[in-house]
Amino acid sequence: MKDIICHDSAKKHVTGESVYINDMLVNDQLLLGKVVFSKYAHAKIKKLNIKKALKVKGVHAILIAKDVPGENQMGPVIHDEFCLAEKEVFFIGQAIALIAAENEYALHQAENLIDVEYEPLEAILDIETAIEKNNIIAPPRKIERGNPDEALKNSPHIIKGELKTNGQEHWYLETQTALAVPGEGKEMMIYASSQNPSETQAIVAEVLGVSKNEIEVEVKRMGGGFGGKETQGNHVAAWAALLANATKRPVKIHLFRDDDQIMTGKRHRFFSKYEIGFDEKGQILAYKVELNADAGSATDLSMAILERAMLHADNSYFLPDVNIMGKAWKTNLPSNTAFRGFGGPQGMAVIENAIDKIARFLNKDGTEIRLRNFYNFEKNNFTPYGQKIENNRLFIIYDKIIESSEYFKRRIEIKKFNKENEFYKRGLALTPVKFGISFTTSFLNQAGALVNIYTDGTVLVNHGGTEMGQGLHTKILQIASAELGITPDKVKVNATNTSKVPNTSPTAASSGSDLNGMAVKNAIDIIKSWLAEVVISEFEKNYPASKTLKENIVFENNFIFDKENPDKKISFDEIVKIAYLKQVSLSSTGFYKTPDIYFDREKGQGNPFYYFSYGMSVSEVEIDILTGQHKLLRTDIVQDAGDSINEGIDKGQIEGGFIQGVGWVTTEELKWNKDGNLLTHSPDTYKIPTVNDIPKDFRVEIMKNIPNTGTILKSKAVGEPPLMLSLSVWLAIKDAISAIGNHESEPEFSLPATYEVILLSCEKLKKK
Amino acid sequence: MNKSVKFVLDDKIVKVDFAKHPELKPTTTVLNYLRSFPDHKGVKEGCAEGDCGACTIVVAETDVDDKLNYKTLDSCLVFLPMIHGKQLITVENLAIEENKEKILHPVQQLMVETNGSQCGYCTPGIVMSLFGLYKNHNNPSVEIIEDALTGNLCRCTGYKPIVEAARKACTNNGFDHFSKNENKIIALLKKINSDKETILIKNKNQKYFKPFSLSEALRLRKENPNALIINGSTDVALRQTKKNELLSEILDISSVEELKIFKKENNNFYFGAGLTLEQMLKYSDGTIPALEKMLSVFGSLQIRNIATIGGNVGSASPIGDCIPVLFALGAKIKLRSETSERTMPVEDFIKGYRQTDIKSDELITEIIIPEYDSSHYIKSYKVSKRKNLDISTVSGAFRLKFDEEIISEIILAYGGMAAVTKRAVNTEKWFIGKKWSRENVEMAMKILTEEFTPLSDARSEAEFRRTVAGNLLMKFFVETKQI
Repeated sequence: MKDIICHDSAKKHVTGESVYINDMLVNDQLLLGKVVFSKYAHAKIKKLNIKKALKVKGVHAILIAKDVPGENQMGPVIHDEFCLAEKEVFFIGQAIALIAAENEYALHQAENLIDVEYEPLEAILDIETAIEKNNIIAPPRKIERGNPDEALKNSPHIIKGELKTNGQEHWYLETQTALAVPGEGKEMMIYASSQNPSETQAIVAEVLGVSKNEIEVEVKRMGGGFGGKETQGNHVAAWAALLANATKRPVKIHLFRDDDQIMTGKRHRFFSKYEIGFDEKGQILAYKVELNADAGSATDLSMAILERAMLHADNSYFLPDVNIMGKAWKTNLPSNTAFRGFGGPQGMAVIENAIDKIARFLNKDGTEIRLRNFYNFEKNNFTPYGQKIENNRLFIIYDKIIESSEYFKRRIEIKKFNKENEFYKRGLALTPVKFGISFTTSFLNQAGALVNIYTDGTVLVNHGGTEMGQGLHTKILQIASAELGITPDKVKVNATNTSKVPNTSPTAASSGSDLNGMAVKNAIDIIKSWLAEVVISEFEKNYPASKTLKENIVFENNFIFDKENPDKKISFDEIVKIAYLKQVSLSSTGFYKTPDIYFDREKGQGNPFYYFSYGMSVSEVEIDILTGQHKLLRTDIVQDAGDSINEGIDKGQIEGGFIQGVGWVTTEELKWNKDGNLLTHSPDTYKIPTVNDIPKDFRVEIMKNIPNTGTILKSKAVGEPPLMLSLSVWLAIKDAISAIGNHESEPEFSLPATYEVILLSCEKLKKK
Repeated sequence: MNKSVKFVLDDKIVKVDFAKHPELKPTTTVLNYLRSFPDHKGVKEGCAEGDCGACTIVVAETDVDDKLNYKTLDSCLVFLPMIHGKQLITVENLAIEENKEKILHPVQQLMVETNGSQCGYCTPGIVMSLFGLYKNHNNPSVEIIEDALTGNLCRCTGYKPIVEAARKACTNNGFDHFSKNENKIIALLKKINSDKETILIKNKNQKYFKPFSLSEALRLRKENPNALIINGSTDVALRQTKKNELLSEILDISSVEELKIFKKENNNFYFGAGLTLEQMLKYSDGTIPALEKMLSVFGSLQIRNIATIGGNVGSASPIGDCIPVLFALGAKIKLRSETSERTMPVEDFIKGYRQTDIKSDELITEIIIPEYDSSHYIKSYKVSKRKNLDISTVSGAFRLKFDEEIISEIILAYGGMAAVTKRAVNTEKWFIGKKWSRENVEMAMKILTEEFTPLSDARSEAEFRRTVAGNLLMKFFVETKQI
């Protein structure tokens, strides 16, 4: 049943039939909504007058903070985020008013007529200033083992450093969108582009001041999410709901691309400081790191992201004496939010860069240092937070990729190339990823499902996960079809709806299939148990000669049979009809929670992860030292996906995640001016990878025959981990730069390695 | 004067009568027009600036041989009257129904099989780019496939399966159900195009003129000197889509055939101002390598299919990619009015930031590029934030001639270094009479960096620009010293 099947929406995608919220046909009462936002990074609102704007023909409502009937808040964890600004604005892009009108023209006219006066206040626009002003958003976090200070003191060598990793814009193709349709009384139907329908429901209920059972949220599909719609999809939904409530008409908000880029949060910028102690062989003896995250103006998910960064500060390496500090700082920028990897990339970048420095310092190949420090089997197998590493895949993946990428042979070729070329340099790097799977907020590791079988033998599966392109619904369809023993054409996965499955967790943390797949399986197991009883009574009637035991009943190929006596069988369609006539339920909910995980935040200790996903990549780049331009010549990836449920889809996640990471480490540059205006607010200046930026030679392999235990169909999560494999591209660039000085001096470096960073780093080395 | 626009959509002639449809403006984009119909919502807006390709459509028009020519365009930048007389093909037109079953077009089928779509939002645009590729190339090389897809951003897949779909699909010489239907479409288009009367669309805020001959265009130009001249509108349209500007008067010269002529005579290349950059790219292939190189990284195929050389020069942007090359090549520009004609160096034509020497009754009609023999070394370079589909941070175009190892002529033209395309005049002077040696080039790099005071902006800091400008000179040296 793990046959390759295509994405369940693929045909609709290629014919243009797939419906996104902006494509929905709504009645002619539909109004369009617009968000008017702050033009100052920090200011007092001295005046906000909407009178003139209200007179524009076609305008139906303009709302400001005082018009919010419920709570004027939309922070998901901490209530520190205004739905509409009250007396002060805290970032450029913060909503101050909402307009509903019949057309775009009226919206723009009204926006221009809204009279706002600001009194600018001092704004904090970077982490350094926030640190200087002690503008911390929550108490610092710590994970510690042993005595790192002492161990550092006793280390033969110490490298100290700082690393800046810039943020990243999600650049989902479908900008933030929501449609709110008022019903009778307090009812409101929300069509959302949200990774977290239950939270969208909660926030909408709160801003409207109604109970959750009045609000129904449905998510058919998103045009990409990547974390950007985990909390911030709630915002547009809340705004659309407020306008719909005020006008009693359906209201749709579909953010313009530039507005989306200006208003919404991004991957967190980090400013990290570290000290690493090691011996002559490159064995790491101590590691101290301080991870400083730019939270933006509100908490959002920053503390969870910081936590994941801390829990991945070790990446794949055993750190005997270690201190990991995490601090999130408040700045006057949009609140930064979830983005594929969720802090993991920022935590890993620091240690990968440190290891790269150790290798250069000891004049050894980076792979030697990495291999030496990998988590081991019998010893050196506990993480800094005390979780034991089990089913370690590092060594088998390492052996495989070293061989398949011909790493050492190419290392020699590259050396030769660099010797012969003055103006072009090549670099090579291998980086591993060990990524913890589970929400680190342990209670979120739960999921629900509702499986309905109809009397014609077709099945409708509802579950709490959302589809954003990652193929979750396809995997769920495969799981349902495998568990029920029926062909996939009989199964349909429904749009995610809070009325069908309540109180769901966000589709995030790569956990979509793990959690929801299990919940669906559990629902199906319940129905199967009911059906089995019907089967037994039918067999007793039709085959009175022998008895059938319940445990011998098998669901397969659209039939149900007795495995002791396969001639005793009945079709799935038939048994469904019989069950209905016998008044047996054909519908069940299912529930799942991940067992045995916990994390004590105060102590920084626990078993936060159900398991780890592993992968490695080797990348080779060529840089032009006169222009800083780089070319990605080849990347090899070996990824562990357990027993992949769908190799086609998993490959898509690996390749797509990797390329998204390549964007983060190379061309994607967030740049603000001194007033806090985002300069790179459209694809004109914010450059995500194009087809030309993928490796000229791109080899992706999913490991075979390493099933995972205790997960749905023995699979592993694969959504986020591959993004971090892109660090091999980043370090290959650094390797190429350092070839200018024959690898003897450490290049200046940061993330992303834009052409500008590469060129200026090259120029400095040339001058040495 | 005609007051309506006609084109073929869903195999029928559609007549858009603006007087009857007050919701439509003459500058309504093809994207917004299509999306107003329930059955054409496949086309998506991703950026409204021609940078993502989610709105890609294919337009077919009859060429000189009376065959249909299929081109991909970004429908977010195309005003409705610009597709007058053409066939508009959308993603909904690709699959056909036979015996109640949907038969996917080969490019769609392969996209399904290779897992070429994930979230699906960019997919209709990608499918249309693949369809354009399918119609124009058989067994295309990776370079051609990548070029066809450069203008389509996908954030999910990492493009690999899409490239594979392209490779596997484009194997049938472009044959498909459109091929079978071509004669019918050609007949419909002929019906529309037999009428050469100028189109004038007027509402209370806007006037849009669309002439079909140069004389008519020049007459309208004189009568409406404030009208914005557009051809591909890839630059002007942004004022509407991004800045909500009301474009009150427009003179659309995209259907003036006299401006689309290329010829080579007396050691000169004559490019009609209305030639698209894609046509320019083809004509310069093998004849003017420095221009070809610059054009090959110009925008995307969707942009090059509609943007024109006249527009690129006429907009006089400091980062217009062709201008430095035209400076280096000593190109001339021809301007015509109803009563006069003049030719001047492109360099003199550009007066300042988005300012030119054009008079209020003139149109650019031709760009004239002299042919150089092998004693001239001519190269062009473009440095941007991303290799493709990006605007220059710095561009350079250089021409060099020796007289017995001594430099006798040198032009060093730079884009992105000032408010206009600018030559490094002092450096040029310094070189004359000197040897083309590494030592001298290194000296010159210092002089060069003092000649410019570039800006810091979203694309880069000034230091990067200054350094690159000097380094490009070194690059030019390295690439020419062997010769």
